Amino acid sequence: MKKFRQLVIPYVIWASLMLLLPMLLIFLYSLMKQGNTILPFKLTFHNYVRFFTDPDFLLILVRSLGIALKTTVICLLLGYPIAYFMANSKPKTGQKLVLLITLPMWINMLVRTYAWIGLLSNDGVIVGFLKLLGFKHVSILYSETAVLIGMVYNFLPFMILQIHTSLAKMDKSLLEAAADLGANKRESFLRIVLPLSISGVVSGITLVFLPAVSSFFIPKLLGGGQYFLIGNVIENQFITVGEWNFGSAISMIMAVIMMLSMYLVRKADRKSGKEEM
Amino acid sequence: MFMEEKRKIIQFKHIVKSFGDQVVLKGIDLDIYENEFVTLLGPSGCGKTTLLRILGGFIEATEGQVLLNGKDIKDLPPYKRELNTVFQKYALFPHMNVYDNIAFGLKIKKEAKDVIDQKVMKMLKLIGLEGYEKKDITLMSGGQQQRVAIARALVNEPKVLLLDEPLSALDARLRKEMQYELKRIQQEVGITFIFVTHDQEEALTMSDKIVILKDGEIQQVGTPEDIYNEPVNRYVANFIGESNIIPGVMLEDKKVRFDDEVFDCVDVGFKKNERVDVVIRPEDIEIVPKGRGLLNGTVESVLFKGVHYEIMVETTPGTTVTVNMHVRDKDANVVRGEDECISANDFYLDLEDMEGIDETEIIARADAQAWDPKTDEQLSIKDIETDLKQEVGEYSVTFKTGNGLSITRKIWVIDQHVVENKKANEAISAFNFFKTTDEIQESMALDTDLMVWANAQAWHLDNEDEPVELYVDYHFDQDKIREGVYRVTFSTAGREFKIHTTRFCEEGKEVGLTFEPDMIHVMEKMGF
Repeated sequence: MKKFRQLVIPYVIWASLMLLLPMLLIFLYSLMKQGNTILPFKLTFHNYVRFFTDPDFLLILVRSLGIALKTTVICLLLGYPIAYFMANSKPKTGQKLVLLITLPMWINMLVRTYAWIGLLSNDGVIVGFLKLLGFKHVSILYSETAVLIGMVYNFLPFMILQIHTSLAKMDKSLLEAAADLGANKRESFLRIVLPLSISGVVSGITLVFLPAVSSFFIPKLLGGGQYFLIGNVIENQFITVGEWNFGSAISMIMAVIMMLSMYLVRKADRKSGKEEM
Repeated sequence: MFMEEKRKIIQFKHIVKSFGDQVVLKGIDLDIYENEFVTLLGPSGCGKTTLLRILGGFIEATEGQVLLNGKDIKDLPPYKRELNTVFQKYALFPHMNVYDNIAFGLKIKKEAKDVIDQKVMKMLKLIGLEGYEKKDITLMSGGQQQRVAIARALVNEPKVLLLDEPLSALDARLRKEMQYELKRIQQEVGITFIFVTHDQEEALTMSDKIVILKDGEIQQVGTPEDIYNEPVNRYVANFIGESNIIPGVMLEDKKVRFDDEVFDCVDVGFKKNERVDVVIRPEDIEIVPKGRGLLNGTVESVLFKGVHYEIMVETTPGTTVTVNMHVRDKDANVVRGEDECISANDFYLDLEDMEGIDETEIIARADAQAWDPKTDEQLSIKDIETDLKQEVGEYSVTFKTGNGLSITRKIWVIDQHVVENKKANEAISAFNFFKTTDEIQESMALDTDLMVWANAQAWHLDNEDEPVELYVDYHFDQDKIREGVYRVTFSTAGREFKIHTTRFCEEGKEVGLTFEPDMIHVMEKMGF
C-alpha cells in the first residue's frame, strides 16, 4: 500500500506545478511594467493603480458584479422550485427531468449562445411574438437583457442540479416526523427542507456566480460589443491590446474578489446552519 | 384492590388495506385502552407497520374506520392527530441540536419560550440525557438518538405514542436496556404505547397486551402470559417461545390422543374426534426413570444452554425406507460418436408422477446429456422417442442429438412404494435408481444428490403439503465406488420432545417423560 502511494507523488508534483505555474506567472506579470518575460523582474504596482484610478474600469467591474448577482438570483428563484418539483416527483419522472436539464449541456456552450442571437434578433421568433402582442418598438438583442437571458440560460442547470442533489438525498422520513410533530406543509418546508438544502443552494450559487462574473463570450455575442463586462476587458488586454501585464492585474483583482465573495457565502451558510430556529 | 374502569382510546373497525392487488390488512378489529403497553407482533410483511402508519395518518385505509376517543380520524392529517411516533430510524433532524429536536413540536405550537424550556428540561431528565441539550444530534450514539426520538415525541404530551420497531437498530445489550427503559417511561408518563416489533422477547418483556399478526390478520390478542400459556394455534405457539407441537385428535372433553396414546388434559369445547394441535412447552416436561412416565424414549442429544440443559428425547423412532442404488461403470452409459457423446441413465418412475410428464422432465430424470468430447461443450438433445404409457411396466426411451447420435435406455413405471408410520404421523417414499461411478465420485453434496436421484420424500400424514426432514444413510466410500448394487436408507427423525431441565441426563439413556394434564395445551388446527 505504502509503495503504491509513493507512485502518486510524481503525479502530484507535476499536476501542482502545472496548476500553480501559470497562476504564479500571471501574478508576476501583474507586478511588472511591460514585456512577456518575467526576467529581469522589476516590481511595480502601476497596473493595479491604473485599474483603481480609472472610473471606466471601476464602472465595468461594478456592472459585472451586478449582472452576475442578477443572474444568480434569477437562477436561484427559477431553479429552486424546479429542483423541488424534480425531487418530489416519482423516481422515473425525476430521472427523465434530470436528463432533460442536462441535455443542453451536450451541445457546446458557444453554439447554444449563437442560437440565442437568432432567437433574440429583431426579426427573430421572440421579438416577432412580442410585436404580435402589440409591443411595437422592442429590441432585445445587444442589450443587458439579452446578456442576462444568455447567462441565466447557460448557468441555470448548474443551480438546479446542485439543489436537486441536496433535496433528493434528504431522508423522506424527516418530513413524516415533522408532520407527526404537528408541522403543516409550509412549516415543515421552512424548518426542515429549506435548512437542509442550504448546502446545495450554496454550491449552486458558487457554480453560477463565479462563471457569470468572469464570463466574456456571452456579453460579447449577445451584448454585441456595446455591453462590456470585466471578462471582455481582460480578453481585450490579452488578445487585442497586447497588455498582458494589465490583463494579469485585472485577473488577480477578480480572483481576490471571487475568493472574498465565496468566503462570505460559506460563512453565511455555516451561520444559518447553526442558527436556532 | 380498586378496579379502575378502563376506557377505549383507539378502536380499529374492520381495517382493510391493499396496495394494488396485494391485500396487506384483511379486516382488523382491535380495541386499545388507556395506559396500555400494546405490542403488535409478527414477522416482516404481516402488516403491523402498515396498521401503525394508518393510525399515524401517513397512509389511508382502503376500508374501515379508526376511532380516537370515539371519533373517526380519517380526515385528520398527521399534524392534527394527538398521536406521536418514534420512527424506526429515529428521523431526527440532523441540522438541529438535541434541544431543538425535542422542542420542535412545542415551537410549532408556538408555546412560550420559558414553557418550552421547562418541558424540554423535564424530558431530558426523563430520558437521562441532562446536559446534552446543546449536543449535535449526528454525533450521538444509537441509544442516545433513540432516547432523543422518544423525548421529541413525548414532549408533545400525546394521548398515544406509536413506536415503529424502535429498537431494531440497536445492539443486543442496548436493546435489553432500552426495553426496561421504555417500560419505565411508559409507566411514568402513564399514556398508551403502541409498539411494533418482530421480536417475541421484546413483546413478552414489555407488553400489557400482545397482538399477534400473520398475513394481515390478527391471530391472538392477550396478555403475555395468556399467549405463552394458551396459544390459540400452531403459528402463535411457534412464534412465542419454544414448543413441542404434536398433531393429535380430541376424543372428548379433557381427553386427547397423540402419538397413539390417550392423555388427560384440561381443554374442553372441541368437537368429538376433532383434529387438533397439541403444545407442550419444553420446561413443562419432566424426565423420570424409564417406565414411570407417560411416554418412554431415548435421549438423543444434550445441549448446555447456560441456565438449563436442552435435551432431545426420541419417543417414536423415525420411519425408514431403503432403496437399491445400481452402480455401473463410468463408460457404460455413454455412446461415443465422432465429434460428440451422449449419455443417459435408466430410471424408475412413479405411476402417480406419470401425469403431466414432459420431455424436459424425462431428460432430467434420466440425466441425459450430450457434449463435444474435444471442448466439453454441452450440446442440446434434439429428439426423444419413447413408448411410455400410463401403466405399470417396462418401457424404452431414445435420446438423439441433432446429428443423429442416439442412446436408448429403460424406464420402469412402478406403483409408488410408500412407508407409512401412523404413530409418528408421517410417510416416506423413495425409488431405486441407476448411476455411474463417475457421477457418484463427482457429486459435491452426496446426501442431497442421493435424495434427488432416489426422488426421496417424506410428509405428514395429516397434511401432505408439509414436508418432513430426511436423513440419508449408506455404507460405501464415495471416492472408491465400483460397479454393483448398494443399499441407501432414508429415514425421518421420528417424534422428538424438546425438554428444558436443570438436571443433566446422559445421551443414549432410556428415560420416561411425564407432564401434568394442565401442561397440555390443545389448539385448533390452522386452516391452510
